[in-house]
Parts: sequence; C-alpha cells; structure tokens
Amino acid sequence: MAEIPSILVLEPAAEQSQRRTAGIMVKKGPQLDLESLKAHLREIRQHSRDNHISLLEELKRNLDQYAGVKLAIATDAKQAASYIKQTAEGTDLASINKSSVVINELRPELQASGFKTYIRYFTEFKNFEKFEKKVEDYWALPGMHERGLVESFDVRKTVTRLRSSEVRDFVAILGVNAVSAEDGSVFFLQHMTNISKDLEQAKKIILVVSLEKVVKDRGAALFQTRCMGIFGLESILLDLGPKEVEQYDFDSLPTLSGDQGRELHILILDNGRKGLLKDGYKDLFLCLDCRACARQCPIGLHLLANKGMVYSPKNYLLGFLQGWLPPAEACVHCGRCQVECPVEIDIPTLLWKGQFEYYARHGRGLRKRLLDNPELLAKLGSWTAPLANWAKDRVIFKLIMQVVAGIHRQARLPTFHRQTLRKWAKGGRRG
Amino acid sequence: MVERIVYYAGCFANYYDPQIGKALIEVMRQNGIEALIPEQKCCGMPMMANGNVKGAAKNFNYNVKLLSRAASPGYDIITTCPSGNLMFRKEGLAFFDSEEARFVSGHIYDAGEYLLRLHHQGRLDTNFREIPLKVFYHNPCHLKVQNITKEPVALLKLIPGLVVSKVNTNCCGMGGSYGMKAVNYDLSVQIAQKVWEDVKAAEVDRIVTECGGCKLQLEAGTGINAVHPIVLLNEAYRSS
Repeated sequence: MAEIPSILVLEPAAEQSQRRTAGIMVKKGPQLDLESLKAHLREIRQHSRDNHISLLEELKRNLDQYAGVKLAIATDAKQAASYIKQTAEGTDLASINKSSVVINELRPELQASGFKTYIRYFTEFKNFEKFEKKVEDYWALPGMHERGLVESFDVRKTVTRLRSSEVRDFVAILGVNAVSAEDGSVFFLQHMTNISKDLEQAKKIILVVSLEKVVKDRGAALFQTRCMGIFGLESILLDLGPKEVEQYDFDSLPTLSGDQGRELHILILDNGRKGLLKDGYKDLFLCLDCRACARQCPIGLHLLANKGMVYSPKNYLLGFLQGWLPPAEACVHCGRCQVECPVEIDIPTLLWKGQFEYYARHGRGLRKRLLDNPELLAKLGSWTAPLANWAKDRVIFKLIMQVVAGIHRQARLPTFHRQTLRKWAKGGRRG
Repeated sequence: MVERIVYYAGCFANYYDPQIGKALIEVMRQNGIEALIPEQKCCGMPMMANGNVKGAAKNFNYNVKLLSRAASPGYDIITTCPSGNLMFRKEGLAFFDSEEARFVSGHIYDAGEYLLRLHHQGRLDTNFREIPLKVFYHNPCHLKVQNITKEPVALLKLIPGLVVSKVNTNCCGMGGSYGMKAVNYDLSVQIAQKVWEDVKAAEVDRIVTECGGCKLQLEAGTGINAVHPIVLLNEAYRSS
C-alpha cells in the first residue's frame, strides 16, 4: 500500500476536560494565558500570510514523497469541482464537512455538476440530547474560550494508510484545518465522528486546502487546529442544528469488497485569494476560520446562517470579494467582529473598504445619494421645526419617505430642534 | 489657569437632543472645566455608510483640522457621541489619515471615560443629590468595541439612589440610520427584539444609553424614555 502523509484528527478530550473542569471548581486549575496563546497564533498566521508561495512549493515537494497521494491545484471553485467530478468516476454521492471553503465556495459548484452533498454528522443528531449533554460537559457554553482548556483538544486518531474494510462508494470532500508544509501532515478538528468515518469509509477522499491553511510545520498545524477549538467551538456548535435536508445515512451503504480503488487527493484551492493579497485584503489570510467574529455579529444569525452558508463576517466579506455574494450591504457597521478575533484582523475596516470599492466601480442608487448627507437633512429639519416635527409623524409623509428615500414608514424618526446646540452655545443660551 | 476641554457634540446632540450638549457643558463647569465648542460638522460615518466617501473625507478633514487646532494648547477632546468617537479614534483614520487626524485620534475621549478618569484622580465633584431611579444601561456597540463598557456604569453608580439593574452589551440593531431603512427594517427589529424583551423584563424607570440611534430604537420598542448618562449626571448636580 502506497504511503500517504499522516492525517491527524483532534477531538475534545473528555476525561481530561472533566478533570480540568473539576480542578477549576476545586482549586482554580491552571489558567490559560490567552494573550500568549493569541500571540503565538498570530505569529503562525503571519508566517503563512507572508510566505504562502514558498510554503506551497515546500508542501508540493514534500507531498511528492508520498506515492499514495495525488496533488491538484485549482484556481477557482469551478475548476475544483471539475477535478472532483473527474476523480469521483461516476459516483455522485458526496460527504462534506462543515468547513467554510467546502460549504460556501465548493458546494454550489459541486451541486451544479450533479453531486448530492450531505453533512454526515447531522445523522449523529439522532441522539441530540446526548450530544447536548456532551457539549455542556466539554465546553460549558458560553465562554469556554476564557477557560484554561487548551490541552483539552488532543489528537484522537492518526491515519497513515488507506487500508480499510469499511469502504463504501462515495466521495468524502473535507476542508482541512491546517496542513504542514514541512511534512504534508494534515489536521482536522472533529465535532463528532464524521471526519473519522469519512476517512475510514469513503472510496475517494479529497482533502481541500484553501491556500491560507498551509502552515510552516507540524507543530504549527497542531497548534492552529487546537486554536480552532479554543476560539471557534462555540460559534461552530451554535451553528449546528440538525437539518433534515442535509442528512444521509452513509453507514447504511453496502461495503465494497477490499479497498481497491481507494484514493487520497489533496486539492489546493486559490479561488481569488492571491488576488486579495495584492488588493489590500492580505489580512484575510490571517484568518483560521474559527468564526469567533460570528459570535459578536448581530446580523449573522438572522441573515445568512439559515441560508446554508457557514456564516461569519469574514466569510461574508470574502464571499462578496470572491463574487458569490452581493455587496456586503447588510453590515450594520457595529465593529463588533473585531472584538474577539484572536488574530486581530480589522474586519470592520476591510468591510468599509470592500463597500467603497464596490460603489466606486458601480455607483450608488438614488436612495443612497438622497441619504448621503444626513447633516443636510438635519439642518433642513431644524430650520423648519416645528413644522418638520408635525410632518414627520403624518402618514402621507411617511409613505413619501419610504417610496422616495427608502426610510421605512414605521421607523421612529428623531425630533428636530429649532435651536440647535451650536446656536445655543453661540448665542443667548436660553433654556 | 482655567482648565478647558474641546467638545465635539456630533449631529445627535446638536440637532436632535441639544440637552445632551448642554448637560456636558454644565457637568464640566461643575468640575471647573470650560468646554470649548469649535465649528464642526457631521463626523462622516453616516456618509461612509451611504457610500459617500468624498463627503466623509471632506467632513472628517474639516473636523480634524478644527478640533486639532482648538485642542493644540494641550486640551483633551471630549465627545458624547459613541460613533463620532469611534470615527475619530479609528474608523476614519484608516481611510483619511493625516497628522491632524492622528492628533485627534490620540486626544479624543468619550465623556464617561473622561469623567471617570477625573474621578480616579480625585478631581470629580461627587456631590450628587439622590436620584431614586431604576435604570437599564444599554452599552452602544461603538463604545463596546472601544472597550468602554464599565466606565459609564461606574459613573452612574456614583449617583446616590440610582440603581443600574441591568447592563446590556448586545446590539440593538439600529446602526445609525441602518435600521430606519426599509431594506433593513425587519432585520433591525429582529435584532432589537432580545434587547426590548430584556428592558421590559427589567421593569425600569428609564433606559440609559449614549447613542442617539440606540435611544430611538429602544424607545420605539419599549415606550420607556432613554437618556444619555451625562444628562443624569447633570440632573444629579443641579439640586445638590
């Protein structure tokens, strides 16, 4: 059997976690130095961002040593889907994991090329209550990232060969958490048992590596994957509702005789990333896709999470920049997405930048132009108060405002004052 | 020598709720500080939100020029507007950088942040009269992201009789004029729902928040009057 690079699957370590939790309760166990952790993670991510070309070359050289792995590089999602279709050799059944690159970028193209894609751990929600209990035990939501649980994410499974007696006729398309350029080892953080089962059962395994997931060495890859758990588990778990439409019982598929025809592919996906590096969005390369930003975003839960996207403000921006989402206008510009980012990406500024560039290219609609100088409207209101105050509460005015300026008729508008603060400060100071 | 600060009021305190600006001036005066109010325009953030980058740049540059000039003798710049504060401290700087912008960014403070600093220096007049009120404090996002969450609450707690029964740091969904727009209105209301429920459950006399947009949103969904903390501080001074 041809050699493959190690595939390491991390999981929360139950016994250890329980001991630690008990330790915290009894004697305030060892606390994690969160700032040191973030500093180390930033160092790893900056290295990946600044050396992505040489890291990719190193990874390619090292993967060449493994006869059991096929390496492919796709410039965009269409090309990636086409490669997977060719690799699948007639199978249209695909198990995918909930990695944002697979769900957001690849899935639409996979479906367009005839694949039926399922997230297999949704079938594990048959026993949802048990799962909920596991979540409570392991992570005590919310706020686990503030606890000293770094050691609670450990390697639970290491796959070093493709031999298996459980092979079934489907393709596993799995977005990885990190890949080591130094030796080609691949790391996953597993929510339940989905990754392990896919590695055990799928006839064709495609490991999807978005360009920024290549890190310098095995230690960095392990650390980054642990950080995915530390900073991201809350958001990831909170986004895991059982969805009937995505369930498929891969376990019930008939097993194939032997493991003939099993293949492991590593598919590197650019999909516009190199361009973003050049266009002033290079800090998006720092992202490990932990979705800590999603936890703070007020619009995410309401806007896109239920539409099948792996939502985070960063993914929202990335989707817009890659062209598969409309201009990121739903952003409320609260700035909260930066608050918990472990690598301190200034997502608020990048969102502004993306919008400005879009308007510069495509112009702005009439309503935007009507509202683009709110101070002028405020001045008009002040000059005409109290008439303006009387008018703003009239139904006919509200309807005109909705039709012309796009202000919702039920929106509460502020009250104008004839004597503004500056007039008061300059002049009589009465009242 | 008279101690002075430079006051950036922002649109809301200037056009829609001048009481906020008057309270700031009076609270400063109570503490022996004169508030200077230079000419000023909208900070530019609402323009940015509507894609008017040129207009935002023009206003931002106008403001930083006048604010830096007024503050050049070594005065701090104080604002009662969380969005104006964020705009001058960070958001505007990323796009309209200049020496004056950096000066303003380094010298601007939220009013609550500034007054609490005075208190820690033992310089804040704490001779407040009792105000028997139960309040709900809503921390606007634009303060939260600057890590200004505890300061307003600490200040409010200096007022005898005033009870801060609940502190909320969730977004109310308004985002300036974002929630007023027909295209965002339903989403904005969905986001606000949780905060509205929390306010109602807290059974308070008043809501306290620094942001004009949040004030409108919270009043719309609860029917409870929302005031800026500086107005309450001033109220507590007036009869002391």
